[in-house]
Amino acid sequence: MTVIKNPIAKLIFYAILFVWGISVLYPLLWTLLDALKDNQQFFRNAPWSLPEFPLLWSNFSYVWSKYNFSTYFVNSLVVTAGSTGLGLLLSATTAYVLARYKFRGSSSLYLLYVSSMMIPFVLALIPLFFLMNSMNLINTKLGLIVVYASSVLAFGIFVLVGFFRSLPKELEEAAIVDGASYYGTFFRVMLPLSQPGLITIAIVNVLNIWNEYIVGTILINDPSQYTLPVEIGVMQAEMQYRTEWGPLFAALFITIVPVLLMYIFFQRQIASGITAGAVK
Amino acid sequence: MIMKKKFAALGISAILAAVTLAGCGSSKNEASNSPSASAPAATESASAPASETASADNAVKLTGDFEIQYFVGGYGDKWWKKVIADFQAANPDLKVKESGGPKINDQMKPRWIGGNPPDFVYIDGAGLNDRQMVEDGQLEDLTEWLKDAKNIDGDLITDILAQPAQQFDGKVYNIPLVLNSWGVFWNKALFKEKGWTEPTDFQSFLDVSDKIKAGGITPFIHTGKYPYYINGSILYPAIVSANNNDFSILQDMAANKVEAYESPAVLAALNKIVALRDKGFIDKASIQINHTDSQMLFLQNKDAFIPNGLWLPNEMSKDIPEGFDFGFIPSVTQEAGGKVVANTSTATVAIAKNGKNKEAAKAFLQFIFSKAQASQWAELSGAPSNIKGDISSSNAPNFVKDAAKYLTDPNTVVIPTITYNADVDKAMMDATDALTISKITPEEWVKRVTDVVKKVQ
Amino acid sequence: MNSGTAKWQRNVFIASFIIPTLLFFGVFTIYPVLQGLYYSFFDWSGMSDNKTFVGLDNFKELFHDPIVWRAIGNDYFLVAGKVVGIMAIATFFAVALTRFGFRMAGFFRSIFFIPNVISVVVIGVLWNFIYNPQIGFLNAFLSLFTQEQVTITWLGFTNHTIWMLLPPAIWAGIGFYMILLIAAIQSIPASYYEAASLEGAGQWRQFRDITIPLVWEQIKVSVLNIMMTTLNGSFVIVWIMTEGGPDNSTQVMGSYLYQMAFRQYHFGYGASIGFIILVLSLITTIILQRLMRHETVEMS
Repeated sequence: MTVIKNPIAKLIFYAILFVWGISVLYPLLWTLLDALKDNQQFFRNAPWSLPEFPLLWSNFSYVWSKYNFSTYFVNSLVVTAGSTGLGLLLSATTAYVLARYKFRGSSSLYLLYVSSMMIPFVLALIPLFFLMNSMNLINTKLGLIVVYASSVLAFGIFVLVGFFRSLPKELEEAAIVDGASYYGTFFRVMLPLSQPGLITIAIVNVLNIWNEYIVGTILINDPSQYTLPVEIGVMQAEMQYRTEWGPLFAALFITIVPVLLMYIFFQRQIASGITAGAVK
Repeated sequence: MIMKKKFAALGISAILAAVTLAGCGSSKNEASNSPSASAPAATESASAPASETASADNAVKLTGDFEIQYFVGGYGDKWWKKVIADFQAANPDLKVKESGGPKINDQMKPRWIGGNPPDFVYIDGAGLNDRQMVEDGQLEDLTEWLKDAKNIDGDLITDILAQPAQQFDGKVYNIPLVLNSWGVFWNKALFKEKGWTEPTDFQSFLDVSDKIKAGGITPFIHTGKYPYYINGSILYPAIVSANNNDFSILQDMAANKVEAYESPAVLAALNKIVALRDKGFIDKASIQINHTDSQMLFLQNKDAFIPNGLWLPNEMSKDIPEGFDFGFIPSVTQEAGGKVVANTSTATVAIAKNGKNKEAAKAFLQFIFSKAQASQWAELSGAPSNIKGDISSSNAPNFVKDAAKYLTDPNTVVIPTITYNADVDKAMMDATDALTISKITPEEWVKRVTDVVKKVQ
Repeated sequence: MNSGTAKWQRNVFIASFIIPTLLFFGVFTIYPVLQGLYYSFFDWSGMSDNKTFVGLDNFKELFHDPIVWRAIGNDYFLVAGKVVGIMAIATFFAVALTRFGFRMAGFFRSIFFIPNVISVVVIGVLWNFIYNPQIGFLNAFLSLFTQEQVTITWLGFTNHTIWMLLPPAIWAGIGFYMILLIAAIQSIPASYYEAASLEGAGQWRQFRDITIPLVWEQIKVSVLNIMMTTLNGSFVIVWIMTEGGPDNSTQVMGSYLYQMAFRQYHFGYGASIGFIILVLSLITTIILQRLMRHETVEMS
């Protein structure tokens, strides 16, 4: 580790880091503070001013009680967990085979998955609706789960193929010599070994799915099945007709908090996950 | 047959009609007709009809599911909740389902596409365009039905409409429910305090704007992110004024006639916007802000005038400062002494062609196009309904009554609702935005828009 | 065990791991996408029962549509801006937080990732408040230094409004790529740097001669990823912040697709825009891979 010795350079670097640090932390604080204001305060005072007393905590209860957030939270949880799990299973199996076994068409299959990441998904929305409609999966969490799971396959396969390839072949060979079946090798040896890679995918997918908005809006129009982002979209649209900036910020804050908590909680796994996934 | 049943159900109609119609009913229908045969006795008393028809309506026994799609915007949803509850009470065997909300148009779109639409739709807000729905064959043709459809009070529906239904190739698919007007708002209290004169025509508008600007307030703000506000309140009335108060030019524009767009009246109108721009009257913030942002600035007296629709006071009711007093005029672009031009903004209702319960949908139309519902609409949503009648005694807010006066004044040119082709509409909005920020000239506006018109013809 | 059954077992294993995924993927991704592409040959409003086959007419029209060209220009502007902005800043942070021995490096590393966990919808709304001409953060901040109130319409310039969408995009993108690069740098054996130090190489030379070549693979992946996510996904932030306006000056391909398909009832035309996005992504990927190919250094 070479330490920067020039004090001026050091000062400048520190300053840059601090400025950026403020730029990422301040919006969170700002969101919280503005969630405690009423409309008048937005006009009277500077954007960074503190909310006036009494603090309008009612903005939170207002958005909380007026919109049934506990249901949406559970919906989001179920959909995110289900689709992440399903997506992982489907991508890990295929990625392993693509990484380790040569068979006719294996490289074009890999290419198919990887190139599909470039497909603009908006294009699929209306056909997707028809498809789900005909399968009676509209307005169901299962419908969202299968679509989300399918949408994360390409990325999962892309990363995991790289990951499996990076694992030493000797381990498998040893397992085979020990008499393990193909399946046993995969589930008992390779899968545990690839945990860091799986975690990478899981984290990225959880974040994406938790925050997904457009597919949810198209496939769900029953309020009892809304996920959080869909509800936020609906709320935001309502705010266009009733200016309620305070509650809007409260809603944004409520949306940020779960992912933020998840990030704080799983921070190490996220960092090591990305590390494991990216470094071959 | 379905239609005839409905007529029998009206009960208000002459005893003769009821009797003849009973003759051609099915066994079920005959049974349902017996109460309506006894109904006429009650019609002698003037107050009875409403309740009487309700029971007569029951006689038809509307059953099954009936789904209503309604957009919730500036008018809120109080009226819808109320009228649906009333209709449900009048038809206990009907399972009324409401699908309402600010995003409902987007949310229901897949169902329209999938051939499984709701039965009844209120066409308002972003995402629904009646012209497009007609072209796509989504709406039920109501031409024949409307010719002699009566409401639950027994009045011919076409008789009581303040603005007639828009025709698409001579056919009617949707009926205007809300009659609203675009126009320009100001704060009377502020004008009084500063000694400014309220505008009556373009010259006085420019004069007072000069004073306002000198007084340190920006004269004019609009909703640049959604430029249909300035088009509806300034541009279209200005075109009609410049066209000798003949609004057929707008209808020609809607019919994609290029000559209409090339008319000198359009240029004259665009030059009025240019005048506002070049005098620096237009708030620079306008271009990037949405309606609530622009309306908040207006309510804070940071800007003196705002082009908007009559829903504004209701929409912003929670944020109206103490002492704020809305002034309103439908148009400011007429010459001194010229007629005021009111560009109406109607929201319509229609029946889905692929709906499953058209019978209930038609009964609902008859239910809502009544005087009672009209004044209830004015009261609950703060906007004039499209049903003729004196609302001066109702609980409607004052500016609604004022606006209603404007719309019925013989000296007002009332532009009926006109829906433009979606592409042309978008092109006009973009071009007007570009015009207000000096990106293009009026001639270029015309060029751009006519290019699109030629493409969609 | 004879080789026949072994082979058969192997094939069963491969099939059981490949086919369910492929079926699933085919039904819920490939099929809808192909269907969408198929619509690009039709004149269809998206709501009507009638679809008219028009062959390549949509594509001909695209070619003459000035907004399409502007959207493509804006897309590539965003790609270029994000690649340069994100890679420069993310690389700087990655190096600063690993090689410079700063205290609190771990803290900075964790908070810099925060924007990546926030939904784009939320980010768009927040930045709209930053840019708001009257009650916005930016103008209020600038007004501290001026006599008169600053009232710049950040999202309403006559031209180049697309520039204003770059800061939120970069701000939101840094964290992920920074973590990626940090991981790569940390996996470089310290002995390389020690050897370079002994030879008298300073920070800059170490960066140029060791860090860059050895993390080139990650840089390549990052650049490709930024390009793809921008072409396919930048429309979400555009849609939330400007809806492509004013006067289409911030339109990107994705937002124009959405506008055309869902707002102006030209689903076929929208589908053909999607087709073009696909083609452009493929071409750009190939070009970028060619450009960045030969500089990869294997570390072993």
